[in-house]
Amino acid sequence: MIVLEQKKFQEIEKMTTGYNRLLVLGCETCAAMSFAGGQRQVAELASAIRVARKTTGEQGEVLEEAIARQCEPEFVDLIKDEVSGCDAVLSLACGAGVQMLAERFQDKVVLPGCNTTFLGVTEELGVWSERCAGCGNCILDKTAGLCPIARCSKQLLNGPCGGSMNGKCEISKDVDCVWQLIIDRLTRLNRLEMLEEIFPVKDWSPAGHGGPRKMVREDLKS
Amino acid sequence: MTKDELSTEIKYPPCKLACPILTDVREYIQLIAERRFEEALASIRNLNPLPRVCGRICTHPCEAACKRGQVDEPIAIPALKRFAADGPWKGRYKAIMPDKSTGQKVAVVGSGPAGLAAAHDLALLGHHVTIFEALPVLGGMLRVGVPAYRLPKNVVDEEIQAILDLGVEVKTGVRIGEEIKLTDLSEQGYKAVFVAIGAHKDRKLGIAGEDGFEGVVSAVSFLKAVNQGENPKVGKKVAVIGGGNTAVDSARCLLRMGAETVHMVYRRSRDEMPAAKEEIEEAIHEGVQVSYLTSPVEIFGEDGNVSALRCIKNELGEPDVSGRRIPKSVPGSEFTIDVDMVIAAIGQAPDSSFLDNELTERDKRIYVEDPYALMTTHPGVFAGGDAVTGPATVVEAISAGKRAGISIDLYLRGEPLPTTEQMEAVETAKLSPALIEKTRKFARCSKISLPAEARLKGFDEVDAVLSEDLATKEALRCLHCFLGARIDKEKCISCLTCVRVCPLGIPTTTKMGEIAIDPFACQACGMCVLECPVRAIDISLDPHSKIAREIEWAISRSQQVEPVIVGFFDLHGNFRSSDVESLRQDYPNILPVMVFGLRRVDTSDILKAFEFGADGVLLAGCPSDTDPFPETADRVKRRMAHARTMLEALGIDGARLEVCDMPDEGLVEKELIDGLIQRIKGPGQAR
Amino acid sequence: MKSGSNLERILESGQFAVTAEAGPPKGSSPKVVQRKGELLKLCCDALNVTDNQTAIVRMSSLSGCVLLKEMGVEPVLQMVVRDRNRLALQGDILGAAALGIRNVLCLSGDHQKFGNHPTAKGVYDIDSIQFIQMVKTMRDEHKFLNGEEISGDVPFFIGAAANPFADPFEFRVIRLAKKVSAGADFIQTQGIFDMPKFIEWMKMVRDRGLDEKTHILAGLIPIKSVGMARYMRNNVSGLSVPKEIVDRMADAKEPKEEGVKICLETIEQLKEVDGIHGIHIMAVAWEDIVSRIIEEAGLMPRPVV
Ligand SMILES: Cc1cc2nc3c(=O)[nH]c(=O)nc-3n(C[C@H](O)[C@H](O)[C@H](O)COP(=O)(O)OP(=O)(O)OC[C@H]3O[C@@H](n4cnc5c(N)ncnc54)[C@H](O)[C@@H]3O)c2cc1C
Ligand code: SF4
Ligand code: SF4
Ligand code: SF4
Ligand code: SF4
Repeated sequence: MIVLEQKKFQEIEKMTTGYNRLLVLGCETCAAMSFAGGQRQVAELASAIRVARKTTGEQGEVLEEAIARQCEPEFVDLIKDEVSGCDAVLSLACGAGVQMLAERFQDKVVLPGCNTTFLGVTEELGVWSERCAGCGNCILDKTAGLCPIARCSKQLLNGPCGGSMNGKCEISKDVDCVWQLIIDRLTRLNRLEMLEEIFPVKDWSPAGHGGPRKMVREDLKS
Repeated sequence: MTKDELSTEIKYPPCKLACPILTDVREYIQLIAERRFEEALASIRNLNPLPRVCGRICTHPCEAACKRGQVDEPIAIPALKRFAADGPWKGRYKAIMPDKSTGQKVAVVGSGPAGLAAAHDLALLGHHVTIFEALPVLGGMLRVGVPAYRLPKNVVDEEIQAILDLGVEVKTGVRIGEEIKLTDLSEQGYKAVFVAIGAHKDRKLGIAGEDGFEGVVSAVSFLKAVNQGENPKVGKKVAVIGGGNTAVDSARCLLRMGAETVHMVYRRSRDEMPAAKEEIEEAIHEGVQVSYLTSPVEIFGEDGNVSALRCIKNELGEPDVSGRRIPKSVPGSEFTIDVDMVIAAIGQAPDSSFLDNELTERDKRIYVEDPYALMTTHPGVFAGGDAVTGPATVVEAISAGKRAGISIDLYLRGEPLPTTEQMEAVETAKLSPALIEKTRKFARCSKISLPAEARLKGFDEVDAVLSEDLATKEALRCLHCFLGARIDKEKCISCLTCVRVCPLGIPTTTKMGEIAIDPFACQACGMCVLECPVRAIDISLDPHSKIAREIEWAISRSQQVEPVIVGFFDLHGNFRSSDVESLRQDYPNILPVMVFGLRRVDTSDILKAFEFGADGVLLAGCPSDTDPFPETADRVKRRMAHARTMLEALGIDGARLEVCDMPDEGLVEKELIDGLIQRIKGPGQAR
Repeated sequence: MKSGSNLERILESGQFAVTAEAGPPKGSSPKVVQRKGELLKLCCDALNVTDNQTAIVRMSSLSGCVLLKEMGVEPVLQMVVRDRNRLALQGDILGAAALGIRNVLCLSGDHQKFGNHPTAKGVYDIDSIQFIQMVKTMRDEHKFLNGEEISGDVPFFIGAAANPFADPFEFRVIRLAKKVSAGADFIQTQGIFDMPKFIEWMKMVRDRGLDEKTHILAGLIPIKSVGMARYMRNNVSGLSVPKEIVDRMADAKEPKEEGVKICLETIEQLKEVDGIHGIHIMAVAWEDIVSRIIEEAGLMPRPVV
């Protein structure tokens, strides 16, 4: 899933000041699962903005709404009417959602209420960690199913670097060295010899360094 | 209830389902837990005109069905009913009287619980009811059968009076079938009759010597005499034959009236004994001896008086149609006990000598066409209670009375009678061992009873009513069957949060992320409801919408005494209704919202309180030894910490949110409240 | 000869090499580099110029190398893949070649998080092993990474780092082998304090015959104070400083002398280890001690080949 976090309230407050009728718009998929933008967080944030506005004396109504996914035009179009009655939309979706709103509501101010952090897994409730960097060319077959691009601080393909100590990355004792994990796993699988070969230089163009990415499926598109 | 109703989504809790009049046990227990005692009584009383009677002597099938019983011990349901019905608030119940009378006259024959219930319901439907009672007193077996140490006569009288106050007429000392025949009633303008004459004729023992000597007495006539203060003659050594409530009560009465030894003779084993388990235990506790697997063979006499009872031992053979194993006598095992009195209590049948071929009898009972609608073969004449079923229970008699009320009302309006099938015995789902293991055990309240010696001095009531403390504690043991979490499948995004936060591991998922919550297993703790990020879960016990409404309502009705503080109080605490009242008096600025656990309060609720104008929020959680889900406490604390961070971010002093544990007794420490008020009023407030 | 550098000549002729580190300043003055060059000129065969060491911005290592070269000292150009992508790296290699630099040390670099610009974007387009391979291809095949021809020679003596003390220990030799097969002509190791572990590692190196395929220069860090010893023991990832070393420094009346003593003892022990072809002294902010150490270790005067 895409992991998001809600922006600090002060930042949101500053960003939304001056927009009298503000629509706080939740996104009920990844944002909800990250506890950043589901209905529950929409209610909490909207209430917080209202309380803040009460104390600052700022006028205006704060409305609450949520749709299944802000990254889909059909869902977004379903809230056309609510949006048209507002001065700004505070989107609690990932950057993709925010931009979809901006695209569908050309004349409307759209503000991001969340930071899109990474593609990751839920380790346990309330703990998420990065697993994939979306590099566009998966290499997990060669790295024991553990991604050095997303999880090695230096994206080394021939790791580990000289900073790996006690299984931890040189950047912090709280971060696992993924190369240690890769080696451990390959040892378990009896395939450590895979690492004797030098991993060639990576083509970063599908990773976004080749320009904004787009995918077209001729068989599916209209 | 019909099978149709059962199959619908609304699920009744086992306790309600087991009750013949579908008393909403769960509801009144919840109301007791909420310290809303008067409403608890109303909940009972709306269905049951004899709550104080039932609170004492109902056989409580509800308790046997109670889900808690699978975990440790069932909820002490009758004790709670008695608590609700006996409290000082009992006089305040007002039945809703109909606007106008229908002008229809209905006769009720017999003033036992069946007759009384029918009279009550029919009166509330606007009919003009007259009860004909053969005896000089009202109440049937309640008055003349059940002894006072279990059911004080004033209790019966008071409950009957409340029924009569609805405008029900009575004619005591009128035995229908003698001067007034059943058929005469219609001539007297009664458009319908309910025959509820009970089963008062004791069955004969059918053994030699039964009719030959002084001192062989039928149990019902004995109890009738005792209950009517006739002080019947009692032997020194008495044998009571039979194993039902009548037998046990006769035995216990005998001890109170001077019998030296009382010997119960029962042909099957203890497990098969039809009398209530507690009653048997009490009797033994008081000194009654019981010979199981024993049948009487012959009564011997001397000088015209009973002198001995010859018995034979039995062993249990094949089960009969009712599933009980048939006792077979063991040859050569005869023995004799010295007795000077024998009481026969082996079952009763209705005395239907008055029926005059008007009504059909079957198995010595009055025959009804449909056991639900209760009309007899004679149009307009309905029958129910022990007269139809044979000796049964008070609540079954009340059920019959209520059904008769419905049938008669429909009959009088010319509408078809209900054709509902009798429900099959409800089978309660079994809880998994894992769930039982995880469920926190709480000891059942113990009874407060007179010591055995004190009891035998007279007919004082043996059991006392629960104190408020014990009653609320007991009510809080309820597991809130079927009031728990329900997932709206349309909204659920399969995030698994519920699966992760449930302290009991109730929610489960399929490979495709379809989340299911077993509605019977869920204990309505409310954890998942709040944590669900898309609010896809609703709950019936303290739904989230209700809490939000209550906050708004509390603030709107506040008398604007500053500073306004919304106080969330965990109902699981050790406090009394008077504690809530004195809080209201001492701190009119604190607006209490009572919740089943602070688990039910979300950050957004706290913010809502501030949004609606609160100056502070107080959250008082129960002491951990009373918390049914102590494992959730930490998560709740962290949720509150998050709320505090949020407040700080808004420029509101986080100290305006006070989270505390309740003291061991009472609602909240005064110093805490004062401290909070001080902080709110104090200087140096941002914004 | 691959590069014809002094370092290469000394090592190829089988002599014990001595190199040291000369970090460039956090400023634009050439003097700092020049002073270090003066200090170390006579006692070392080549001087490493670090590349934004510990991710703290300093004068570029290429400029430092040029400054040293101008004064007749042989530089080793350190390059990290943290700050430059494959285009910049290749461009700088060509430029260094043009400026007469002949030794390069290919490194990953410390993570930017540790430095004075922790919010910087790390590049890490290629890693150090791929970098070694790239330089080797440029030198031996006259080809860029994309296969295009390079005009002119790219004569470099290619170095790499090795850290025997990092984890996982068993894999360290495999990684060294990868560096060697990628084209590392010489290796400079992490500072050695934990001799038994180093000896164990060297045995594994010899077992694979790696000491025959590359020149291993053992790293040394002279310790100035007990504070430094402690800091390195507790805070520097990839360094293994045994407790005895810290204790010795703590008990010493004259810590600096003790530090020198430890260093000399280490060199003596290293001389006994098969497969060691030289030493590399990293005297961060204590460059003045280097000549004394080399002198007292009996490694003076430096040979001329
Ligand atoms: C000793 C004893 C203990 C019991 N203990 C319990 C207990 O603990 N819990 C429990 O649930 N149940 C108990 N029962 C059973 C319970 O009392 C009966 O099931 C219940 O009272 C039946 O109610 P009813 O209205 O059908 O009949 P009854 O209560 O028997 O009432 C019938 C009434 O009709 C009157 N009557 C009869 N014939 C005529 C006529 N021809 N004309 C006018 N009036 C007439 C009778 O005088 C009587 O007042 C006990 C019964 C006995 C005898
Ligand atoms: S320590 Fe491991 S994870 Fe961290 S940068 Fe080095 S190789 Fe990557
Ligand atoms: S636990 Fe409560 S709701 Fe469930 S059966 Fe028992 S009394 Fe009824
Ligand atoms: S917490 Fe809510 S959204 Fe998540 S799985 Fe449960 S019901 Fe579905
Ligand atoms: S309400 Fe409580 S017990 Fe029921 S499923 Fe939700 S978390 Fe579990």
